[in-house]
Amino acid sequence: MPGNWYLASYNYKFNISHNSHFLKKLKDKKVVGNQCSGCNRVFFPPRLVCGKCLVKPDQWVDLRETGKVATFAIVYLKDSETGEIQEKPTVLVHQDGSDTAIITQLNPEVDFKDTYVGMPVKIHWAENRTGGLMDIEYYDVLEDDAEDMNSTKD
Amino acid sequence: MGRQVAIASAGFSEHASKRSDVNMAELVSEAVEDCLKNAPGVEFDDIDAFVNGNMPAFEGSNLPELWMTDWMGARNKPLLRVTTGGTTGGTVAIAGYYTVAAGLPKVDTVLAIAFEQQSQGDTSVGLGSVAYGEISVLNTMGIPYDQLSRLLSAGAAIGVAAYQATNYMRKTHITEEDLARVVVQNRRNAAKTWWTHLKMPDLTIEEVLDTPYISYPLRYGMVCPASDGACAMLFTTEEKAKGMCDIPVYVNGVASVANETAVLGYDGSGSGQIDPSDQLGAMKSSELAYYQAGISFPRKEIDYAEVYSPFPNQELMWVEKLGLFEETTAPKMYETGVTSLKGELPINCSGGVNATNAIGASAMERPAEAALQIMGKADNQVPKTVHTSIGHGWGGSLNLCTLMVMSDEPQRKWR
Repeated sequence: MPGNWYLASYNYKFNISHNSHFLKKLKDKKVVGNQCSGCNRVFFPPRLVCGKCLVKPDQWVDLRETGKVATFAIVYLKDSETGEIQEKPTVLVHQDGSDTAIITQLNPEVDFKDTYVGMPVKIHWAENRTGGLMDIEYYDVLEDDAEDMNSTKD
Repeated sequence: MGRQVAIASAGFSEHASKRSDVNMAELVSEAVEDCLKNAPGVEFDDIDAFVNGNMPAFEGSNLPELWMTDWMGARNKPLLRVTTGGTTGGTVAIAGYYTVAAGLPKVDTVLAIAFEQQSQGDTSVGLGSVAYGEISVLNTMGIPYDQLSRLLSAGAAIGVAAYQATNYMRKTHITEEDLARVVVQNRRNAAKTWWTHLKMPDLTIEEVLDTPYISYPLRYGMVCPASDGACAMLFTTEEKAKGMCDIPVYVNGVASVANETAVLGYDGSGSGQIDPSDQLGAMKSSELAYYQAGISFPRKEIDYAEVYSPFPNQELMWVEKLGLFEETTAPKMYETGVTSLKGELPINCSGGVNATNAIGASAMERPAEAALQIMGKADNQVPKTVHTSIGHGWGGSLNLCTLMVMSDEPQRKWR
């Protein structure tokens, strides 16, 4: 007996009021995170409550546009029209100055074989920014000038 | 202070990708029968209470414990259902332990049952319903659904494992060959156990590496199957266990510790774990359970380990995080045969989750198999005498780790 659950019909309500400042800043090409006054951790994107200290992070911190690839996986997706299998890295980026990693994507022109943990990346802003997470269209890859790159990159 | 708890018996149903010859209730009944067969003196009347659980929504039927009470033998008896996603089995076993340890009057013997019949439902729909609450917040924050599905196709169970794998491989400088070696050991072990799903006695590393990628660096041949199956464990008091079986297995430490959400984080706010292979929950749970069991040197004192490893990189990661090997040395141990059946510290001689994965039951099959190894009743019995063993479980986006430490003698230090 085939069945289906229409997930899109679920109506979840979220309090994202703590994000409004962050989303507004994204529209102006600025990256901010909020900082917990208890443990000094910086959250990007912002969190409503710090899970460690159970206090509301109340301080806004400016962050750089750069970050590092914290980890990555390569997704193999079949194009529904051409049937061609595309290989694309999906990455978690650790933004410089923050203490959390965010799931995002890399520049589609990057060859997936070149991805590695610790790769420096920089935000590529979307043309039309609407004040949402998609304002960060993807991350561009920066030149890696670290000396130990050759010994650690596998 | 709680009573000393012992495991008198453990049993399994046969596992396969589609057990269409039985329905869910009959599947559970198979495991219960096998469990009682291992403890000949026990009748249904001797069992005082029941704990059961499975992964909700994975088989598409609601509240299965209510309509299968008779098949478990739980009519007119206390019945409790516990579910914690991928670790359900581990949590059910721990709930069985708690029920006996509490020392309630007239509750001495508890049957814990975990089951899953995935072929009846749609796993991805079930997983979607679990993850939906988490991902829809990203939609509220401005990511359209078509983009989300692309991002999250690496965010399901395999995605989390792939993230762990890339970081683990970076840390230890291992190759895919090392991952394939773990798979080969598991599947060959599974071939010697009657209830397992993927029995591949002649699998080679080349064959594993010849399969296509599902999500780099994990290949199709390295990934766990989706099985139908059930597992049952009989928990009882120290005194009663002596009358039920030859070698009672004493539960000396249990722990279940949750870590921060894996990939998405709370309300889509990102992961607090920068390094996904840095599993704090496993380290904390092992610290607690070993302390309860009075184990100071897990590497020396533990004779057998069953770890929850749907993917080979996780097996390498867990044995290190649970304190069985030094950090980054696990791949070497698999290469030199320390973890094989005749090695110093055999791991997953039942084939582990990598060969059999009935999600709700998997985390209970680990302590169940570890207990059978102490009793000497396991199918793929290790040749050396097993005094202390551990059964580990992991699951859920919250990174919940469950651990049960068992031994052939009771632990009274902290009582």
